[in-house]
Amino acid sequence: MAEYNAPLNDIRFLLNDVFKCQEKWQSWPALKEQVDSDIAEAILEEGNKIAGGLLAPLNQSGDNQGVAWQDGKVETPKGFKDAYQTIAEGGWLGITGNPEFGGMGMPKMLSIHFEEMLYGANNSLALYLVLTVGACLAIDSHADNNLKQQFLPKMYSGEWAGSMCLTEAHAGSDLGIIRTKAEPNTDGTYSITGTKIFITGGEHDLTENIIHLVLAKLPDAPGGSRGISMFIVPKIWVNDDGSLGEFNQVNCGSVEHKMGIKASATCVLNFDGSRGFLVGEANKGLMYMFTMMNYERLSIGIQGIGCAEASYQIAANYAKDRLQGRSSEGVKYADKYADPLLVHPDVRRMLLNMKALTEGARIFSTYVALQLDTAKYSQDKAEQKKAKDFVALMTPVAKAFFTDMGLDACVLGQQVLGGHGYISEWGQEQLVRDVRIAQIYEGTNGIQALDLVGRKVVANGGQYVDEFMAEIRNFIEQQQTDVTHEFLQPLQNAIVTLEKVTAWVIDKAKNNPNEIGAASVEYLHLFGYVAFAYMWLKVVAVIAQKPDMDNAFYDAKLKTARYYFNRLLPRIYGLEQCIMAGSEDLFSLEEEQF
Amino acid sequence: MPEFKAPLRDIRFVRDEVLNYPEHYATMPGCEDATPDMVNAILEEGAKFCEQVLAPLNLTGDEEGCKWSTKGVTTPSGFKEAYKQYVEGGWPSLAHEPEYGGQGLPESLGLVLSEMVGEANWSWGMYPGLSHGAMNTLSAHGTEEQKQVYMTKLISGEWTGTMCLTEPHCGSDLGLLRCKADPNSDGSYRISGTKIFISAGEHDLADNIVHIVLARLPDAPAGTKGISLFIVPKWLPNGQGEPGERNAVQCGSIEHKMGIHGNSTCVMNFDEATGYLIGPANKGLNCMFTFMNTARLGTGLQGLAHTEVAFQGALAYAKDRLQMRSLSGPKAPDKPADPIIVHPDIRRMIMTIKSFAEGNRALAYYAAKLVDVAKLSPDAEARNEAEQLLSFITPIAKAFMTEVGFEAANLGLQVYGGHGYIREWGMEQNVRDCRIALLYEGTTGIQALDLLGRKVLMTQGEALKCFTKVVHKFCQANVDVEDLQEFIEPLAELNKEWGDITLKVGMAAMQNRDEVGAAAVDYLMYSGYACLAYFWADMARVALEKLNAGTTEESYYTAKVKTARFYFKRILPRTQTHKAAILSGADNLMEIAEDEFGVE
Repeated sequence: MAEYNAPLNDIRFLLNDVFKCQEKWQSWPALKEQVDSDIAEAILEEGNKIAGGLLAPLNQSGDNQGVAWQDGKVETPKGFKDAYQTIAEGGWLGITGNPEFGGMGMPKMLSIHFEEMLYGANNSLALYLVLTVGACLAIDSHADNNLKQQFLPKMYSGEWAGSMCLTEAHAGSDLGIIRTKAEPNTDGTYSITGTKIFITGGEHDLTENIIHLVLAKLPDAPGGSRGISMFIVPKIWVNDDGSLGEFNQVNCGSVEHKMGIKASATCVLNFDGSRGFLVGEANKGLMYMFTMMNYERLSIGIQGIGCAEASYQIAANYAKDRLQGRSSEGVKYADKYADPLLVHPDVRRMLLNMKALTEGARIFSTYVALQLDTAKYSQDKAEQKKAKDFVALMTPVAKAFFTDMGLDACVLGQQVLGGHGYISEWGQEQLVRDVRIAQIYEGTNGIQALDLVGRKVVANGGQYVDEFMAEIRNFIEQQQTDVTHEFLQPLQNAIVTLEKVTAWVIDKAKNNPNEIGAASVEYLHLFGYVAFAYMWLKVVAVIAQKPDMDNAFYDAKLKTARYYFNRLLPRIYGLEQCIMAGSEDLFSLEEEQF
Repeated sequence: MPEFKAPLRDIRFVRDEVLNYPEHYATMPGCEDATPDMVNAILEEGAKFCEQVLAPLNLTGDEEGCKWSTKGVTTPSGFKEAYKQYVEGGWPSLAHEPEYGGQGLPESLGLVLSEMVGEANWSWGMYPGLSHGAMNTLSAHGTEEQKQVYMTKLISGEWTGTMCLTEPHCGSDLGLLRCKADPNSDGSYRISGTKIFISAGEHDLADNIVHIVLARLPDAPAGTKGISLFIVPKWLPNGQGEPGERNAVQCGSIEHKMGIHGNSTCVMNFDEATGYLIGPANKGLNCMFTFMNTARLGTGLQGLAHTEVAFQGALAYAKDRLQMRSLSGPKAPDKPADPIIVHPDIRRMIMTIKSFAEGNRALAYYAAKLVDVAKLSPDAEARNEAEQLLSFITPIAKAFMTEVGFEAANLGLQVYGGHGYIREWGMEQNVRDCRIALLYEGTTGIQALDLLGRKVLMTQGEALKCFTKVVHKFCQANVDVEDLQEFIEPLAELNKEWGDITLKVGMAAMQNRDEVGAAAVDYLMYSGYACLAYFWADMARVALEKLNAGTTEESYYTAKVKTARFYFKRILPRTQTHKAAILSGADNLMEIAEDEFGVE
């Protein structure tokens, strides 16, 4: 069975050398007293122990056993409850929480790396944690102080878990058509009635209570997405004094049988006149969801990275151990009956693909997290504004590109093992099954791409893209070392290509809105590859300044960057052609002609 | 789960209208029995069997899986009865020698049945499918006596077969295998060793299982030149040719795997089991290569099968599922939302699947026709040419069709959103089942090395030329057809580029052998997209001819032209990505030191 070791050196390198976290944190009043690089180091070390020591050993057994549903109760696999409690007691659920209510107030730039470790070690268990953190964030962002006081401390402490209840059987991507209703009660609470599906962590035995955040419609609500409100609906009612009351008629009707994340309970939840509290104002539920969604979407993107890293670790170790065939240049290990797989160029190609994309994604995730933190903590209005723009622009890219690349990486990781990749024993096939959901939930990657091209690019005439390109150009100008030289022109060309397709899409969309959807997924990928190229240049630029740049870590980075620029970045030119083929050929077929 | 419908219209389009199968069968010696009526009956009856008997067992077979005990392996409910019906229907004997009870129909027709069986239920189809390997071995290399005893039973379907190659320490590198064969005084051998990943190695469908086992004789040279082939039946045939004494071969366990749960993947322990040498000693691998092309083509069909399943599933859902409005205004104003097929990205996914399904079907039946010609043609030159083309196109058919098949299966799942991830709709099973096709029967990487190393570069590009010549002739012949120029021009350009790239790789490989492996997979994918460009152009040609001549199926043929256009404009640019990777060379792969792949 696979071990998991968090890539701590890579994370340290990114935080300390590439993004200079200490300087940033010290410059922001809200974080100055909260975190420094020593605290960060301690969190990373402990996080690795939790992930590798506690979660990873339960990953395969959790998949084998799955969750069991009986009479509305869900039993999680053996060991999950104890592990969850240990994590809760360590305060990990409140790591990014609001300090006013017992959270630790850590920056996103740090917490994403802990999240990556969780996903890398055990996707299913990670989801219970991440969903709780998401629910906390929604409450902290939009609920009034009383509700925060009532729920957040218990959720940060891990005593209560959270869930997000959006999807209904007929309404997934299109939440405007949800039917769950909320009737006002005389005491100011609401009675919630309806059925939600695909509710991750909707029911389980890990905590004494589960706090559901439910989207529902008030009786007089306008139609469509403008008539949706958000409610807090505890599984067990919470009295004003904080004690637990009666069961609140939130019934788990069944759990889904799925491709993967089998140890995570994906529930059908029936709300049968369950009492709930309105969060914030009526009819603003969807907007509230969106404001917190940037955080959530980045987290789901991180799932792609975590899985890719775990798959890489297994594949790289296997490629070193497995002896098969001889190098085409002649025998490399004469003392062994065959050479290790690593001598074969195609095995290297697969591993380097994984490595370049996984590490590239890790740089970009840190960069996006830095934007989220800057938007939240910076005192400089201009800097804050730019960070907000970047968050808006990059979040859909992070979610969709990381998870698309995450699947690709896991499939390659499986391929390196040959037939052994297909059987359960090695863990590779589970990673493929587990990571596959990340392209779907929290907004499918098609929805992310529409968000990017429609709302973030076309709607503002490409302004955010221009800002980003300006930053990259500015950065390129400062990099005139021998080490960075070979990367500058290819990145220049890549920017020009992105600008070209951006202008093209904006122009085409004026006459035909279908051009947005026709270009969207390929545009998102093109954007992702260009952004990763910029990220790799950032890394190379740091290494260029190191006196010991030939040590193995830096040398590997440099060569991986080179691989990325030579073998992966050119993908943008194929994508460019696809985008500029336009929507015509997608709509030429009548429905019956399919 | 959407109901499976065998894609008969499209199979007929490709075979009858594009590839001229009726003429091929009418003129090829040995294919006379495949009259249009006969072919039609087989298509119709085969489709019925697949739709009504096999497809309903697909999802349940996945859920139930195979069960192992010391007594043997139990297949999922219904598998045994379906196999009985299959045997009673005479299906196993379709494309085999009449001397041993076969119907003597062409192999290309057998592949149609394989496609439909695979689409309905791939796991089930592997049980009779594996028999083909055993039959091919016996047919090519067995003695008359061996054929009488084993072929008869395999052809009737009373017995099934397996191929036992892989061992725990050797998969792609068979030269390392350790299983040994010691001679007995009666001319038989004692076979000892452990084989893994043996599909259909043990099951409850048939009276006996005939294992074809690779093993080493005591004095065999090391490596691939010391491997021999043996027949090792589970039950030793008695004097009447019926199962007699139990042989010392046992299934030690079955694997827990990602998919194909209805098929047993076995660890087989041979403990001085009685075996019979087949073919010359130490020539086992050569013997296997003689029929490897058909086996690989059969696995390539798996990619096509899962693509077709993804297409049927995704299309049904996209027409039915209502979610959001079209950006260009409501299309179904009477409904709460529009069907998702109005959304461009959903169309992109479905068109991608469609263009792969139909394009790969043409590729598969093109190759299938070559199999007939290579085997049956009285004209030595024609045989030789078919063999050359087949050896070039086989690794492409295997690896490209399964690689894009996996992409298609994933797109099919994606169209369903969250519903694709749960079992109910069958889309996630389609992905899991498809995944194995990129691994077994030689991984994609191994196919790519075969294509670029053994086939193309070893012949100084001749293997490629025999195909680009076909494309070139096609372009020449259609140079004046105005409607076709949107396809002919890019195809002709691509055809030239293909040769140029090959030349460059060849030059680089003379300096550094690693250039072959470094370029191989991208070269194979490039070649696959190029092949499909040719087939799509050819299909567009036929469709345009039909349209110009006047047809009652205007909608069908216009769809072909439009799908061809989609393929050229939105899929074919991928060749540029692969070209860039191929030409980037080996250094970016080889310069990184082994320990720099480090895991912390």
